[in-house]
Amino acid sequence: MTFGASRTAFVLRRLVGLAVVVVLVSFLVFSLLYVAPGSPEQLLLGNSKTIDPETVRAVREQYHLNGPFLERYLHWAANAAHLDFGKSIRTSEPVAHGIWQRLSLTSQLAGLAFLVTLLLGIPLGVLAAVRRTKLVDRGVVFFSVVGLSAPAFASGVLLLYVFAVRLPWFPAFGQGAGFLDRLKHLVLPAAALALTATGLVVKITRAAFVTELEKDYVTFARARGIPPSRVLFRFVLRNAATPIVTAAGLILAYMLAGSVLVEVTFALPGIGALLVDSVTSQDIPMVQGLAMLIAALVVVANLVVDLVYPLIDPRIVFGKSAR
Amino acid sequence: MNVLEVRGLRIDAPQGVIVDGLDLTLGEGETIGIVGESGSGKSLTARALVGLLPSGLHASGSVTFRGRELLGARERAWREVRGTEIALLLQDPFTMLNPLMRVGRQIDETAPARGQAAARLAEVGIREAHVADRYPFQLSGGMRQRVGLASALASDPTVLVADEPSTALDVTTQREILRLIRSTQEARGMSVVLITHDLRVAFAVCDRVYVLYAGQLLEVGSARELEHHPTHPYTHALLAAEPLLEHRLERLPAIPGAVPRAEAVRGHCAFAGRCRFTAAACRSERPQLRAVGEGRATACLRYEEIKGSLVPTARESSVRIEERAPADLLLRVDGVSKSFGGARPALDGVSLAVGRGEKVGLVGESGSGKTTLARCLLGLETPSAGRIELEGLDVSDYAALSTEERRRARHTVQIVFQDPYSTLNPARNVGFTIGEAIRRARLRGGSAPTVAELLELVGLPAAYSVRRPSALSGGERQRVAIARALALQPSLLVCDEPVSALDVSVQAQILNLLLDLNEQIGLACLFITHDLAVVRQVSERVYVMHEGRIVEAGPTGDVLAAPREEYTRTLIESVPQSDPAWLAPANT
Amino acid sequence: MTAVAWARVHARDSGLTPLVVASLVIVALAAVAAIFGPWLAPHPAGAQDLLLGVSGPSHDHWLGTDDLGRDVFSRTVVGARTAIVGPLLVALGSMLLGNLLGLIGGYRGGFTDTAVSRYADLVYALPALLVAIVVVGVVGGGYYVAVGLLIVLYSPVDTRIVRSATLVQRAQPYVEAARTGDVPQHRIIFWHIWPNVLPLAVANAFLTFAFSIVSLASLSFLGLGVGPGAADWGRMLSDSRTLLFDNEWTALGPGLALVATAASMNVVGDWLFERLTERGVRR
Repeated sequence: MTFGASRTAFVLRRLVGLAVVVVLVSFLVFSLLYVAPGSPEQLLLGNSKTIDPETVRAVREQYHLNGPFLERYLHWAANAAHLDFGKSIRTSEPVAHGIWQRLSLTSQLAGLAFLVTLLLGIPLGVLAAVRRTKLVDRGVVFFSVVGLSAPAFASGVLLLYVFAVRLPWFPAFGQGAGFLDRLKHLVLPAAALALTATGLVVKITRAAFVTELEKDYVTFARARGIPPSRVLFRFVLRNAATPIVTAAGLILAYMLAGSVLVEVTFALPGIGALLVDSVTSQDIPMVQGLAMLIAALVVVANLVVDLVYPLIDPRIVFGKSAR
Repeated sequence: MNVLEVRGLRIDAPQGVIVDGLDLTLGEGETIGIVGESGSGKSLTARALVGLLPSGLHASGSVTFRGRELLGARERAWREVRGTEIALLLQDPFTMLNPLMRVGRQIDETAPARGQAAARLAEVGIREAHVADRYPFQLSGGMRQRVGLASALASDPTVLVADEPSTALDVTTQREILRLIRSTQEARGMSVVLITHDLRVAFAVCDRVYVLYAGQLLEVGSARELEHHPTHPYTHALLAAEPLLEHRLERLPAIPGAVPRAEAVRGHCAFAGRCRFTAAACRSERPQLRAVGEGRATACLRYEEIKGSLVPTARESSVRIEERAPADLLLRVDGVSKSFGGARPALDGVSLAVGRGEKVGLVGESGSGKTTLARCLLGLETPSAGRIELEGLDVSDYAALSTEERRRARHTVQIVFQDPYSTLNPARNVGFTIGEAIRRARLRGGSAPTVAELLELVGLPAAYSVRRPSALSGGERQRVAIARALALQPSLLVCDEPVSALDVSVQAQILNLLLDLNEQIGLACLFITHDLAVVRQVSERVYVMHEGRIVEAGPTGDVLAAPREEYTRTLIESVPQSDPAWLAPANT
Repeated sequence: MTAVAWARVHARDSGLTPLVVASLVIVALAAVAAIFGPWLAPHPAGAQDLLLGVSGPSHDHWLGTDDLGRDVFSRTVVGARTAIVGPLLVALGSMLLGNLLGLIGGYRGGFTDTAVSRYADLVYALPALLVAIVVVGVVGGGYYVAVGLLIVLYSPVDTRIVRSATLVQRAQPYVEAARTGDVPQHRIIFWHIWPNVLPLAVANAFLTFAFSIVSLASLSFLGLGVGPGAADWGRMLSDSRTLLFDNEWTALGPGLALVATAASMNVVGDWLFERLTERGVRR
């Protein structure tokens, strides 16, 4: 097989795998309605006290609750594919609409955090790997471990305390209006989110670089008189990239989870807060919509990572890992 | 002026000293060899010569290049010298090159001008244009080593330090690479420092040889003189312990014990623990290197007294090849083939036989299929076609055997693997490992020896049964592996390169052990190896394998003396010889 | 069995930086607090003093009190229990499940291995915390449901590590020697291979522990998991948001305790990993 053909085959294999994941997840998400305490009709009606047979029948019709399980699933899945998850029990607005409204805020938050993470984390990791002086290395390791271990809400609350209470540099709650104001409101939440992610990226970057720097090809390159900066950027970087790209994929999954915690902490009306509210109020259609959104985002992130791998390391395409 | 001069080089590691005082000189156009077994410090010396010791290690002493002191100088001074004046060629072609950079680009990195990749590849014998566009993983080991050489030479250095450049390669490829190094050296007028564990290679390639043992320099001299008149008991014993291609000895004079760590033998002669001629003085202080002739030096205190005994013993053939009556057949392999789906089958219609008590050799390089065949004999692989019979029992498919049949098979043939460092479970002690094999043997109501008996049989003290593999040397581990195999009291022992991973000074011990076992308990042996000298020593009949087929077979002496096949001839000619014609370019 | 691994860990160049030592100390303290918390705390964790309400640090209340007059320090100490017990169960459960799947899949290969790998890939792809939020929130069930869920959600990491290690060991001659010695498969897996794989699995268990501390605390922060009013670090942090102006220690106490404990577990896990993989240098 030629290079190009192998690459296409590789991508296709991955796509199929991810499609399977999506289908399986959708199945699980669909069954939430039946797993939650209470009957499906009750849940869909919002646990209101009076449930007369008329309403029940109407609900059953509307949500296709009659018929075998598989049929119901297919109905639901067909709608879901059109981004129609029904109406939110809590707010009575269409689920897709409710999600869409809040999506921009969360994307801004996550985007900012992601940027900060990569711009800060990777250079720090490389620094720690290259300058193995005790001070720098241990300092960076300490920072990364603490960041990694501090859940976004803990660092959120701590940041709130320091920067919003003690030195009121930033606002404590809310999303703000206008570009600059929005930015001010997002600094602390993004920082909280980025802290943990940066810790992870630093750790993985440092480990990847340290591993590569000990390898024979680096010694050989140096022995040939290639200057250290070139060895680092031209030789080591690409070889160390694979675990870092994997980390970037993990970061995205983390951002989704972390944004939930951060939005709750800072009272930001984003997707994450919406999820928590929906879950606690048993708003199943909304939960389903959000869950599928998350699944889709995870799948896309994995796909992008999988597409980047062969660009970095041609061996992966051929199924070889070393030698 | 000497191109390179090293005085009192010392390399220290957190665990202790690694090289304890090394002096050497390298003249213009000269080739010197640093010969040593594992733990001698030779590879780290190579790294120290370009200032690239691994972190945590520290070098002291003096290394001067054309009069300029390098050791202890700033990193910048080293960078000016690396590649452009002193080049290092590493040992493992599989890890030496950047895996994610095309080969041509890697050479261009250090070439004085762009676009020279093709020319430089041609210089190392690679003429096909497309190679420069390949990634290393798409090339064979031999090609990668050539690329490595081209990269190392890209800045046109004056000195090439080659760290075991051919060790990871097949014996035929080895000759090509050594030839290549010689021809490029002559064409460019380079000086070469060759690091190797193989004395034969050193004698073939080098003008002068330095013998390093456990961090101590024991002897220096010209290759010719060292080969015929060693001045140190170690060199002498090492030469004696090497099997010869030409003759077979009843027993190889083995060196007892194992190679110590440099830290353990500081303060006295490194070889004192294993030397025949050790005296009290040898153990009380470290002997200094002293001149004993023109260009010769030795670190043996007792040289003058013992030099008479250091003459290489007459290595005439002292074993008559007995006429063997047709033995009753233990193993019969008939037309066995095995394919793994690659371009060609791993095994292609292989047939051979081993009789009771026979010692049969199987010679081949990597890719010949010899290991696959061994695995088929033991049921670790199943042949795609053909028949394998053990004492009449058809074991072509182990999975299809009944429990009783399999038990019979296991009691007929056992195996010893190549790598002593992974052949024993690191988490279990010797007693457990051998004990379990014994338990298996007794399970079917059979008799079996005890752990102590087996240890004695392989020459280890019974107290070793509580030791873990990490507390044993390579040779000792291999003995335990043999003891484990013998627990089931097999009639045939398949040995897959059992000594290739051992130090030369230890190889002879294991070879002698196998010969002893053959004599004492009639253990038949199928000895698989790539080393023709070893096969001469241990076998009476030999099969030669190449690319999955048996290309030649016959009594060992006959095959080695008068090979009929081209390939066998090539193999024989690839064994390093001191004759300069061995390195002359091939005539094509 | 793992004596070899422990010997390596205690060798001279043991990599015991001040950070590692400090982490071991913190882990020990946390364990002590988890076991003996109620007896060590100066005040009962639930004891309210509504007259007092929120107050700053004082002689009687070292870290002050929360809005119900409860002693923050005591609650922080007692909170170690829910912060540790759950994660301990998750770490052990995930390790057991992961080891079993990884060993069997890795050794047997073929369909079993493919099934194990696909399962691990699938579960690994799901963001654990979010799944936990959805399931615990929708289905209900509290702390132990969350624990069970996390065991399943974290097991792929153990599975992968053990599977890789098993594949490596399986190719080693000593395993092949056992096969040619007719040692039965189950014995090879559990008595020959597992002892060599276990140290790595244990090191990873520490990291799983650290992750679950964070996850479980996150759940209780969001109101899922432990019940209201429990002395739990996540809960306490959630409650503290409105008290920051009055007594910041309602946040700092549990916050620092949480970060310190999780970080220490991470450090110890990393240290073990490094010791066990790098120091496997032979000869």
